[in-house]
Amino acid sequence: MTSSSANIDKIRRFILDKIALGRGITALADEESLVERGVIDSLGIFQLVSFLEETFGVQVGDDEILLENFSTILDIDHFVRAKLAAE
Amino acid sequence: MAYLLQQLQSASAERHADKPAVWAQGRTLTHGQLEADSNRLALCLQARGIGRGDRVGLWFPKAVESIVAMLGILKCGATYVPLDPMAPPMRIASILADCSLAGLITDATRLHGLDPSAQQSLRLRLLVEPATADASTLSWDTLGAFPDTPPAVDAVESDLAYILYTSGSTGNPKGVMISHRNALTFVDWCADTFRVTASDRLSNHAPLHFDLSVFDVYNALEAGACVFLIPESVAVFPANMAAFIAQHGISIWYSVPSALVSLLLHGGLETRELAALRLVLFAGEVLPMTYLRRLTAALPRADFHNLYGPTETNVCTHYPVDRAALAQLERLPIGRACANTEVFALDAGGARVQPGQEGELYVRGPSVTSGYWGDAEKTARSVVPHPLHSPSGEKVYRTGDLVVLRSDGDYDFVGRRDSMVKSRGYRIELGDIESALYLLPGVREAAAVAIPDPEIGCRLIAFVVPHQPDGLSVLSIQQHCSERIPKYMIPEKIILCDGLPRTSTGKVDRTRLARDREPGEAST
Repeated sequence: MTSSSANIDKIRRFILDKIALGRGITALADEESLVERGVIDSLGIFQLVSFLEETFGVQVGDDEILLENFSTILDIDHFVRAKLAAE
Repeated sequence: MAYLLQQLQSASAERHADKPAVWAQGRTLTHGQLEADSNRLALCLQARGIGRGDRVGLWFPKAVESIVAMLGILKCGATYVPLDPMAPPMRIASILADCSLAGLITDATRLHGLDPSAQQSLRLRLLVEPATADASTLSWDTLGAFPDTPPAVDAVESDLAYILYTSGSTGNPKGVMISHRNALTFVDWCADTFRVTASDRLSNHAPLHFDLSVFDVYNALEAGACVFLIPESVAVFPANMAAFIAQHGISIWYSVPSALVSLLLHGGLETRELAALRLVLFAGEVLPMTYLRRLTAALPRADFHNLYGPTETNVCTHYPVDRAALAQLERLPIGRACANTEVFALDAGGARVQPGQEGELYVRGPSVTSGYWGDAEKTARSVVPHPLHSPSGEKVYRTGDLVVLRSDGDYDFVGRRDSMVKSRGYRIELGDIESALYLLPGVREAAAVAIPDPEIGCRLIAFVVPHQPDGLSVLSIQQHCSERIPKYMIPEKIILCDGLPRTSTGKVDRTRLARDREPGEAST
């Protein structure tokens, strides 16, 4: 398993490049709320899930696509690590 | 009989003072508290000289204060303008200038993002925060200094209650003016048709700047029921949204079809306790039959209704879904006219369509807007003299929607006569996106196209021809767009190209652009 900070950077890069659609947002802190800043919307969330599944080889169920797992980059990283540890 | 929207609330405050009226983010206000708080706000606005003939904006994420603000503004006789909490400050500035807001209710972060030059018309800046360090703004706590008695205001039903801004084809959002009478015609029809009671629990999924929210808020107030505002964050996650419905025992749901589809596909509806849900209403776009069949199976106790109507008419037609007929139905009708509303369709020659024929839909009645704020030209194109007979000089709304009259008297929606599209229920003028693109130096040509999508209505793609090869990057174009147009209008994919295909008449060939787009790119 790659280190967590490498994962965090990959997640951040994907969100900034593919989902934030340049909302004037060029940086995202680990604990910034992605939804409140309008970064993730109802389309972006499924792009992000596909990215996590492909990049980290995890399977994300509909019942896991929850605000509490995707609130911040740190939450996403915790979620992915927990998934990898369980598999 | 109420002739002003706020009278619905005041009447419920007398009958149901201690019952919850609004829930948001874990906080509740009773009908009695809503009455007192909105009276205080109205008096505060009056003290600042705000009243009839003024407009006050609301620009913050959904909270119980949203409803207090709407009612308080109405009670001082002014008109409220709900603004997209996620819209970029430049978009808000252009709306602020368009309708010269006298007041703005917002939060400190948003206010700081707004250029000072855009704030010149403001006589009042009120923050939905307990305190403020800035002498030029008021904090929410200052409202406590005002009495909770209702202010005396002379208002009549034709006064404007609110203005809803929608995408405009020339790059400027246009403000649909809705009077108390326009809104009440719809609210009264809903109260009769859906029998909302004091024990109902209504969800509010739509943003408050979107006209679907008018039912959620005012029919809850009218009935003495409670409306549960779904936070923008929960609406992103179908499983959270489904849990929200179960947790709060929601009995009436109203949303755009795409929200229902995401609940169906990703919300795990079958595992939830949703027995309280008795009514599912949807409007704003076409719900594919295949999803409707699955939704009715997943929610066997609920009645489903398709509502149709541009913002300019509130809702003008209605189709109650007949479960027994679903299997045979190929297309979901928009139904027939609501009470106190007339609809008719005219063919290209201006004659009333016969069953089986296609025509453009017109709407007549007291729910129809008087037009667009400060834009007589756009108003004259859409709010027109009755094309068949006009003994009273009464105007009708020309929807731009093409419909087919069915042999059973219902109408089917079949498309648009212009380049307006819908994505997740939002009205989007492709010209609005193109105007934003053309503002970027370095853009020689731009075209936005919509690719139909069964889940969300359509996805947007923009083709941009730069003046200089390599003169523009996709990221810089996206950044430019994000400062000017709301996120739902930003194309998912921007394709840089050397030129745009043309039709034989020299127009940009949008059909070909949509068809020949790069394979596999629609999802990235």
